Amino acid sequence: MGIRSRRAVLALCAVSAVSVALSSGTAVHAHEIGTTRVSVVFHEGRTQGSAPTSGRSYDIEIVTDATALVEKVEASTGGSPRPDTSPHHLQSLLTGFDETFRRRVKIAFDGSDARPGIAYSVAPGVDATSPAVATIRLSGPIPPDARHFTWTYAWTFASYAMTVRSGASGNLVTEWLEGGQSSSPVALTSSAPPVSRLATAWRYLTLGFTHIVPGGLDHVLFVLGIYLLSGRARAVLWQVSAFTVAHSITLGLSMYGLVSVPPRIVEPLIALSIAYVAIENIFRSELKSWRVALVFAFGLLHGMGFAGALKELGLPRSEFVTALLTFNAGVEAGQLAVIGAAFAIVGWHCANRAWYRSRIVVPASVLIACTAVYWTIERLAMGG
Amino acid sequence: MSPRSSASMFRRLGMLIVVAAMNGASLAAHDMWIDPTTFSPQSGQIVGVRLRVGQDLLGDPIPRDPALINQFVFEDEAGRKPLIGRDGADPAGFLRVAMPGLLVIGYRSNASAVELTPEKFNQYLKEEGLDAVAALRAHRHETGAKAREIFSRCAKSLVLSGSASDKQGDRPLGFPLELVAEKNPYAISDGQDLPVRLTYENRPLAGALVVAMNRLNPSEKLTARTDSDGRVRFRLRAGGMWLIKAVHMVPAPAGSNADWASFWASLTFERRAANANGN
Repeated sequence: MGIRSRRAVLALCAVSAVSVALSSGTAVHAHEIGTTRVSVVFHEGRTQGSAPTSGRSYDIEIVTDATALVEKVEASTGGSPRPDTSPHHLQSLLTGFDETFRRRVKIAFDGSDARPGIAYSVAPGVDATSPAVATIRLSGPIPPDARHFTWTYAWTFASYAMTVRSGASGNLVTEWLEGGQSSSPVALTSSAPPVSRLATAWRYLTLGFTHIVPGGLDHVLFVLGIYLLSGRARAVLWQVSAFTVAHSITLGLSMYGLVSVPPRIVEPLIALSIAYVAIENIFRSELKSWRVALVFAFGLLHGMGFAGALKELGLPRSEFVTALLTFNAGVEAGQLAVIGAAFAIVGWHCANRAWYRSRIVVPASVLIACTAVYWTIERLAMGG
Repeated sequence: MSPRSSASMFRRLGMLIVVAAMNGASLAAHDMWIDPTTFSPQSGQIVGVRLRVGQDLLGDPIPRDPALINQFVFEDEAGRKPLIGRDGADPAGFLRVAMPGLLVIGYRSNASAVELTPEKFNQYLKEEGLDAVAALRAHRHETGAKAREIFSRCAKSLVLSGSASDKQGDRPLGFPLELVAEKNPYAISDGQDLPVRLTYENRPLAGALVVAMNRLNPSEKLTARTDSDGRVRFRLRAGGMWLIKAVHMVPAPAGSNADWASFWASLTFERRAANANGN
């Protein structure tokens, strides 16, 4: 990209930020936007400027004020600013400070850091009054199963725009970030190689199952709470059915955007629902119709929790319904696995024993209730 | 400890602060100052007026943004003129020195909104010496609450063309929060203090923390609280660029959709080697 076009992009960034500010509220609250900009491109098969690779790859371009960057990098190593600000000198300094520069740049795929190849170049400003511009290119392969990309850049004090373009869809997404702030996870699914419906179904079935076992201890404890009320199969069946229907409803409605309750409200309520069923188990051993109704209501809450998890995982647009249904089926399979394990461990042998309630149901329910109360307080504190 | 090793130690301490600032771990808010392409222009010379945001005089350029500019002016003996510039460009403005003398450059921004976590906001209040706001939050049991803030910049810079004299002086530009040098910093000699007055809405602001730092050794800060006349005095021994800064915060006006409104005043100038003691 030429220097003139870089200048045009910077101007465009400033003007677009103004437009956003003007259109988003009555008062203008523009932010201090610097001259740094970051462009991310995901490729299907190769990295620009390097040998072809068989999998996906990324190219990231940082364009920033060269002198300001070198001053900060030098200062962080204990060095003093140097008077020579010629582009050639700045480029050699940046290249020499490669390891220092990397410390405040983070590329992560599904939370795991990646180490990119980095090339530094510095060009003079467009005219005598313009500062030298550093262009830093980071590139590397995307891990085969990666689903999300996250970016953090902490070499600026000002706000900057990060644009992400996917090679497959060509969609351009812009996110405004502060220096040191991590980007929202960028879903890589759209640029992934085409996946068959069967493969998608299996993948989301697995994700749904693992969201319960071993990933969702809170849901496991809720299901155990349902199971522990009574040793009768009818009681378990009624509650599990009510819970399943309810969470399927809110999972679907949430994923289609028809229901939206913030996690800071849903998550403490989920914890509270676990505490409730466990405490009730201590005092009751018979299934009442209002318990089924309550479990249904709690199922609505848990469905919203499942939706939050599924949104974080991301859904492929082309297989939205398949992924939604199979994720839900995976969740059911996970719940049934928990009930099956509980039945095999304690239910099969002990459910009819006289001491089953006093030695199994009550202590286990107390433990579940204590854990759930702790979670409730913790989630309320974190949400506030 | 020799002066050289002492200076080196302070520099390294400063760099640690820079590292912490870049990590966002220590310093919660950023300064803003004017960094002209030269503090000593010739008559007729074009001066680029760069805006910088950062910490410890390590900053990032802020290009010209018409949505942020409330006033961007310079004043010489002939009066006040706007600074011209191209939207999206750094330097944000340019001026032509028409006559020898002291030029006062000013940038006042419109308010920007920010929301800070309780930890960051409390830390920022502590770092900027905003004790009264911290006490008010504690009194209202809001210390653990996040804060919605609108902040405005009131940056000034003094540039000297030609030789310095006592008759030249800084001039108030009428910014909400403003630092005014009461002597010409280019004319004060070794052993002389620079008196600086801080005003809020054109009246002296008492009890505010004012900080001065030199570009070559920004970690060795000079700090003082304003007296009842809003005045502080600094003995600026080192040559080179100096930044003097102060922050003031008040409850946000009704309808601003914020809890607090802050104003960030800064004043930059250069102490010439002939007048400075070195350091």
